Amino acid sequence: MGVLAALIPVLPLLGFLMLFLAGARLGARGIAVVGVGSVGIAAGMALGLTAWFLASPVPVEVSAWTWMTVDGFAPRIGFRLDALSLIMVLVVTVIGVLIHLYSAEFMAGDEGYARYFASMNLFVAAMLVLVLAADLLLLYLGWEGVGLCSYLLIGFWYRDPANGRAARKAFIVTRIGDTAFAIGLLLLFTHLDTTDIQALMGRAQGQWPAGAPLAVAAAALLLGGAIGKSAQLPLQTWLPDAMAGPTPVSALIHAATMVTAGIYLIARTHALFDLAPAVRDAVGAIGAATLVLAAFSALSQTDLKRILAYSTISQIGYMVLALGVGAWASAIFHLMTHAFFKALLFLAAGVVIQRLHEEHDIFRMGGLRQRLPLVFWAFLIGASSLAALPLVTAGFYSKDLILWRAWSAGPFGRALWAAGILGTFLTGLYIFRAVFVVFLGPVRTPPRGGIGPAVAVPLVVLSVLALIGGFVETPDFFGGVPALTDFLAPVFPGPPPPGDPGGEAAASIFAALVALAGVFAAYVAYCRRPAMVATILRHPAAEAMRRCWAAGWGFDWLYDRLLVRPLVATARAGRADVIDAGFDALAAFCRQSHAMLSRWQTGQVRWYAAWIGAGTILTVAISVLA
Amino acid sequence: MTGGDLTALLPFLVMGVAVPAVTLAAAFRRPALAASLAALGTVLAFAALWPAAGVVPRQVTPLLMIDGYALYFAGLMLAATLAVLLLSLGYLHRRPEPREAHSLLLLLAAFGAMAVAASDHFASFILGLETLSVALLGLIAYAHGRERPIEAGLKYLILAGFSSAILLFGIALLYLRCGSLSFAGIAFALGRAGSDPAILLAFALVIAGIGFKLSLVPFHMWAPDVYQGASAPVAGFIAVVSKGAVFALLLRLAHDTPLASGPGATVIQAIAVATILAGNLLALLQDNFKRLLAYSSIAHFGYLLLAVLAGGVLGAEAAAYYLAAYAVMTLGAFGVITQLSAGQAGDDIEQLSAYRGLMWRRPWLAAVLVLMLFALAGMPLTMGFFAKLTVLMAGIHGGWWPAVGALVAGSVIGLFYYLRVIALMAAGRPVEAVPEPTRWAGALVLAMLTGVLVWLGMAPAPLMALIRRATLGG
Repeated sequence: MGVLAALIPVLPLLGFLMLFLAGARLGARGIAVVGVGSVGIAAGMALGLTAWFLASPVPVEVSAWTWMTVDGFAPRIGFRLDALSLIMVLVVTVIGVLIHLYSAEFMAGDEGYARYFASMNLFVAAMLVLVLAADLLLLYLGWEGVGLCSYLLIGFWYRDPANGRAARKAFIVTRIGDTAFAIGLLLLFTHLDTTDIQALMGRAQGQWPAGAPLAVAAAALLLGGAIGKSAQLPLQTWLPDAMAGPTPVSALIHAATMVTAGIYLIARTHALFDLAPAVRDAVGAIGAATLVLAAFSALSQTDLKRILAYSTISQIGYMVLALGVGAWASAIFHLMTHAFFKALLFLAAGVVIQRLHEEHDIFRMGGLRQRLPLVFWAFLIGASSLAALPLVTAGFYSKDLILWRAWSAGPFGRALWAAGILGTFLTGLYIFRAVFVVFLGPVRTPPRGGIGPAVAVPLVVLSVLALIGGFVETPDFFGGVPALTDFLAPVFPGPPPPGDPGGEAAASIFAALVALAGVFAAYVAYCRRPAMVATILRHPAAEAMRRCWAAGWGFDWLYDRLLVRPLVATARAGRADVIDAGFDALAAFCRQSHAMLSRWQTGQVRWYAAWIGAGTILTVAISVLA
Repeated sequence: MTGGDLTALLPFLVMGVAVPAVTLAAAFRRPALAASLAALGTVLAFAALWPAAGVVPRQVTPLLMIDGYALYFAGLMLAATLAVLLLSLGYLHRRPEPREAHSLLLLLAAFGAMAVAASDHFASFILGLETLSVALLGLIAYAHGRERPIEAGLKYLILAGFSSAILLFGIALLYLRCGSLSFAGIAFALGRAGSDPAILLAFALVIAGIGFKLSLVPFHMWAPDVYQGASAPVAGFIAVVSKGAVFALLLRLAHDTPLASGPGATVIQAIAVATILAGNLLALLQDNFKRLLAYSSIAHFGYLLLAVLAGGVLGAEAAAYYLAAYAVMTLGAFGVITQLSAGQAGDDIEQLSAYRGLMWRRPWLAAVLVLMLFALAGMPLTMGFFAKLTVLMAGIHGGWWPAVGALVAGSVIGLFYYLRVIALMAAGRPVEAVPEPTRWAGALVLAMLTGVLVWLGMAPAPLMALIRRATLGG
C-alpha cells in the first residue's frame, strides 16, 4: 500500500507527458479528461492512502532507486510518507483536482488549453515530489520543478510582454532564495555526509550543539530558500506581480500550494531550526513584519487579485510566525485552512473578473450579490474564514491556535502576538472592504453569462471545507479536539504546550473581537459612510501613506534603485572594460585556435600522413626523454 | 578445446556462421534475406552472451581471452551493429547502390571488432583489426558514382595502412625483446628483464598506431573527412564499433602490460590534453554536422583516455560506462542524420543550415537530437552526465590534473557548439510540420536509444552493476 506513495506523483507526470506530446491531437474534451483525470486519480489514491495510514500510522519509506553512488554521495530517488507529507499530499491533490476541474471550464476556448493543462499537471507532479521526497536533493528537484511551472504559468499569456516580465521577476527573485537553499544543501552534505532528510536531522542533532555556527548557517540558508518561495520579507515582491497568470494558477500555485513550500521546508527540517535559536527568532520576526506590512498593502489595493495576493503574503506571514515560536503543527494547520479559503477566494474572484470582461478594479464592480449569488456566498465564506470570524469558520481555529502559541512563548512571543492581533484587525478590514465594494452597492459593470457545474462544484466543495475544515483541531474551551496536533505529533515531537484553558479562552475571545472590529470598520467605511475614506485621504500625509502601501511599501522602488539600476549601470559602464576584454580575448583565442586548426585540415593525404609521422616521432621523443 | 571453451566462444561461433550465410545471400543478390540474416545473426550472437557469461573467464586458445569484460564489449558492439543495420534499411531504400553487401560488410566488421575486444595477443589483435578495417573500407566507399565517398575510402586505406605499419613495427620490436606476442608473455618478460629504450620505442609506436584508430591528436586528421564521406549510419558505426573495440583493446593492453605506466603515462596524458582541446576547438564553428560530430568524437576519446590513465577497477568501470553512453548518444545523433537523409540520393543532410527550424518541421527527430546533444554535452539526467562524472572521478583519484583540467575546459567549449546546433534547430518561425514517410526501423532504433539514454541517465545503477560484474580485476 505504501508503494502508492511513490505512484502518486507519477500520475500527473504521465498526464503532463500525454498532454505535452499529444496535446494537439486530443481535442478540448480529451485534454480536459486527461488533465483533470490524472490529478483526480492521484487525489483518489491520496484519500485511499489516508484511510490506510490512519489505520496504522507508521511512516513508510519507498526507495525507487539510488541515483548514483560516488564516494558516499548516494542520493536516493525515495519517498517518505508520514503524517506531515500525507497532509501536504492531501492538500495538493484535493485542492489540485478541484482547481483543475474549475479550469476545464474557466480556460475553455483558450488557444493554449493543452499547454495550460500540461503545465498544471507538471506542477502537481513536481509539488508532490517536493512534499514526498525523502532526500533533500530530490526535494530540491521538486522545488526547482514548481519554480519552473510557476514561471511557465505566470507568463502563460506570453504575447503580452508585461506577463513575460512578471514571470521573469518571479523566477529571478525566487532564484535568490533557491541559491541560498542550494548552498545550504551543499553545506549540510559536506558536513554531515548525507542528503537523506531523516539522517541529516539525526546527525545534526547528534553532532551539533544548540547554537553551533554551522547549524545557524545551514538554518539561515534554508530560511533564505523558504522566504524566497513563500514570498516573505525581503523577497516578497514577486508575488503581487505573479497575478499576471490565469486566476486558477494563482489559486493553485500562488495561494494554496507552491508558496507554502517554504513553510513545509522549515517544518520538515525543524530539528535544524531547533538547533539555531537565533534563526528561529528571525523566522518569527520575519513572519510578524511580513504579515503586518502585507496587510497594509492589501488594504490599499484596488485590483481584486492583488488584494488577494497581498493577503496571501500576510497569511503566510502567520505561518512563518508560528514556525518562529516552534508551533510547527499549528503552522501546518493554518497552511491547510488557508489553502481552502484562499483557493476559494481566488476561484470566486476569477469568476467575477471573467464575468465582468476582465475587469480587475474593485471600484468598477458592485452589486454582484443578486447577479452572481453562488459566487457571492462563496466569496463571503472565504472572506469570513480569512478574517477568522469566530466559531463557524476554519480560519478562526488555525489563526487562533497560532496566536495562542505565540502568546505562550515568552516576551518575544508576546511581541509577535501583538503583530498578529494587529494583522487580524487589518485582515477583517481589507477583505470585507472587498466584499462590500464588489458585492453590495450599485451595479457598476453588468456581468454576462452564468457559471457551469465545473465551476460551481469546486466553489461549493471549497466553501464547505473553508467552514468545517477547522474542526480537526479545536481549543480546550470549545470541544478540545486536538486531532491534527496528535496526528502530527510523531513528526514534531516535543512537550505539549502548557494548558491554560482560561487564558486560551480569554485570548480567543479577544482575537475574535478584534476580527469583528475589523469587519465592522470595513462596514462603516465602505457601506455606511463611503465618504469617510475620501475625507481621510484628502489629507496629504494620509494620501502619501496610502500610496506607499499601495506600492507595497516601496520595496520594488528600493530594489530598483539599490540593485537593478546599479547593476545595469555597472554592466553598461563595464561594456568595454578590462574584465570583458579578458573574456573577449578568451573567445577570440578559441576562435583563432579553431581557425588555425581548421586550416590544417587541408584534405590532402600527404599532409595527414606527414602529421601521423610527426606525431609518431613526437610520441617516441616524449617516451624516451620523459 | 573443452565444452566450456566452446560455450564461451558461442557468440563468436554464431557470428562465424552468420557471416558465410549472409555472404551466400549476398551472392544470390537477395538484399532482404541478407539483411534479415545479418540481423538474426547479431541477435543470436547477443543471446549467446548469456550461456557464455556462465563459464567465463577463460583463455580460449592462446589468442582469445573470453571474460566478462570481453563479453560486455561484444554485447555493446552487437547492439550497436543491430542499430546500424536497422538504420541502414530505410537509408539505403531508394539509393542506387546494391544493398546486399552492406549488411555483409557490417556483420564482418562487427565480427572483427568483437575479436579485437577479446584478444589478449597481438596476433589476434592484428587479425581482428584488419578484418574490421577492410570491411570498413568497403563501407566507407560504398556509395556509387560519387567522389567524396571514394576519396574518403582512399584516404582511409592509405592512412590506415601507414598506421598499421607503425603498429606492426612496434609489435615486432616487442617480440624481439620479449619473445612473445601474448600480453601476459610480454608482461612476464618485462617483469624479469626490466625496461630499455627499445621497449620504450615499441610502446610509443604501439600507442601511435592505436592513436590513429582512435583518431587521437595528432593522428586525428582523417576522421572528419572519412565521417563526411561515409554515409551517416556508417559514420556512426565507425565512431562507435570500430573505435570502441580498439579502445577496449587499449584498456586491456594497459591493464596487462606496463604500456600506460612511466613514460607511457606521460605520452598518453599529453595526447589526452591535446586531443580534448584540439577536438573541441575544431568543432567550435564547424558548419558541417557530420564533421562536427567527428570532432566531437575525437574530443570524447580524449576524455576516455583519462580512464586509461587512471587504470584499475575505477578506470575500467568508467571506460565501460562511458563507452555505453557514448554509443547511445553518438548512434542517436547519426541516427537522426540517417533518418533525415533517408530516401534521397546524393549527399546526406549534413550542412548545419539545413537544421535551421528543424523543431518546427520534424519535431520528433529534433527532440531526439536535442536529447542526444544534451547528453553529448554532459547534461544531468542523461547518460552523458554520469559518463563524464565517472571519468572525471577516475582522473581525480589518479591525480592526473592536466588531463582533468583539459576535460573541464573542453566540456565548456563543447557546451557552446552543441547548444549552437540546438539553438539553430529552434530558430525560425513555427511552420506546419511537413508530413514525411516514417521509416519505422530507424524510428524504432531512435526511440529505443532515447529511452535508454534517459532511463540509464536517471538510474545508472543497473548498468553499473552489470559493469561491476564484468570489469577487469583490479
